[in-house]
Amino acid sequence: MVDREGWAGLLAETAADRASQPLRISELCVELLGVTGAGISMVTKAGNHGVVCSTDDVSARIEDLQLTLGEGPCIDSVRGNAPVLVPDLNSPQEIAVDRWPAFLEGAGAAGVQAVFAFPLRVGAITLGALDLYRDQPGDLVGDGFSAALMAGDAAAQALLYVDTGNGEKGGPELDFGSNYQHQVHQATGMVQVQMAVTTEAAFLMLRARAFATGRSLVDLANDVVARRLRFSTEDL
Amino acid sequence: MSSESISGGLTRVAGHREKTLAETFVLLADTLVADYDIVDLLDQLVASCVNLLGVTAAGLLLDDQRGHLAVVASSDESTRLLEIFQLQNNEGPCLDCVRLGTAVSSDDLVRDRDRWPLFVPAAVDIGFRSVAAVPLRLRDQTIGGLNMFNARPDPIPEDDRRLAQALADVATIGILQRRSTHRSSAMAEQLQHALNSRVAIEQAKGVLAERGNVDMDHAFAILRRHARTHNLKLTEVALAVVRGDVDLTAETGGTPSA
Repeated sequence: MVDREGWAGLLAETAADRASQPLRISELCVELLGVTGAGISMVTKAGNHGVVCSTDDVSARIEDLQLTLGEGPCIDSVRGNAPVLVPDLNSPQEIAVDRWPAFLEGAGAAGVQAVFAFPLRVGAITLGALDLYRDQPGDLVGDGFSAALMAGDAAAQALLYVDTGNGEKGGPELDFGSNYQHQVHQATGMVQVQMAVTTEAAFLMLRARAFATGRSLVDLANDVVARRLRFSTEDL
Repeated sequence: MSSESISGGLTRVAGHREKTLAETFVLLADTLVADYDIVDLLDQLVASCVNLLGVTAAGLLLDDQRGHLAVVASSDESTRLLEIFQLQNNEGPCLDCVRLGTAVSSDDLVRDRDRWPLFVPAAVDIGFRSVAAVPLRLRDQTIGGLNMFNARPDPIPEDDRRLAQALADVATIGILQRRSTHRSSAMAEQLQHALNSRVAIEQAKGVLAERGNVDMDHAFAILRRHARTHNLKLTEVALAVVRGDVDLTAETGGTPSA
């Protein structure tokens, strides 16, 4: 296990290659958080579901099961907008037994004994979840919980930047802009209304426009907020 | 003017301040026992800081758990931009305060130009001449900083600094002791919650500003009024607005956009 700063640094480095960033974040969790495997699924309000990545066959199975069955810790963490921790899937005390009967059966058969799901969020945008599993029961050790939350934040950023074309170097500035400039989030809300789309789609549109016109996301957001620029459905 | 009337005036000023101080802490204490909204509390703290200490502006930075600080509350827009300026240039009294975990101040920024060569001109440019920053600390960990700016090059009195530290401590408690319904939550989760709430509120302001054709301040006032009137948390209202579960357009009083 590394310390908090070290972990933050490792997560930040994953941004060097946007295309493989979600997988790299999952791999880091396996390497350093004492879990057997990790995976990320997208589950959005608009109903888009899909497995983004998984570190092994069992995690692939966990993601697949949940998306197929529509139940499980990942689904609950997205719905409840909070982490879902099940340190022992076989414990009769676990509410999980009543909530996810089919998932438990499938996960148990695959050798999963503990599972931890963390929602991927950017404000009101919920993109999916990061799922960690273990083949032995037990809680996340040490600062594993905090570290997993941080990994979830990094993964949420990664998903918003994924699928934006080839070879783009998404540097820290980009993250910086979206994280700390309120105008970006305000502009996202405005574009959401202008284009009648979901919040995540509005963010991606802003970002795509910034990329296409070679401007910074913050500059573009400033124009939207100042009403110098409107997104229009006629642009589509 | 006689000396009696001057001292009488000072007593009245001091008396007024004592009252404001007491009211502020009663309000904060009330907030902390209720199921409060963290962004609402931090906004309130920053405003209290300005009112109680008579400073020009105040801002609050939080550790984002990923190696950066984020501005989570500020008394006005230019202060927020100045805080961001410090973060972007990785230089300034507020960053020093969080890094060192101790209070940092400058009674006259112009004289301290060498200390923060990028920050000082930017701060002076928007009309600030002095600054004081106190850390948000829990035991040996610093999770952020409360920063005060003044238009005049005056030292902030020792009493006021202690008061500022008391407000910073309330902020720390507010962030870290938020009751979690399902487990004793980790610091990381509380910080994540505070920052994520701020983002959701900004997104909701955008939605309302566009729907009601009003500015961001007006949009925020509508969110807050709705939350108070209906006894809801600001963040809950923001999430509902962004997700389209509630439409506050009628409350904007503006001309709805087409």
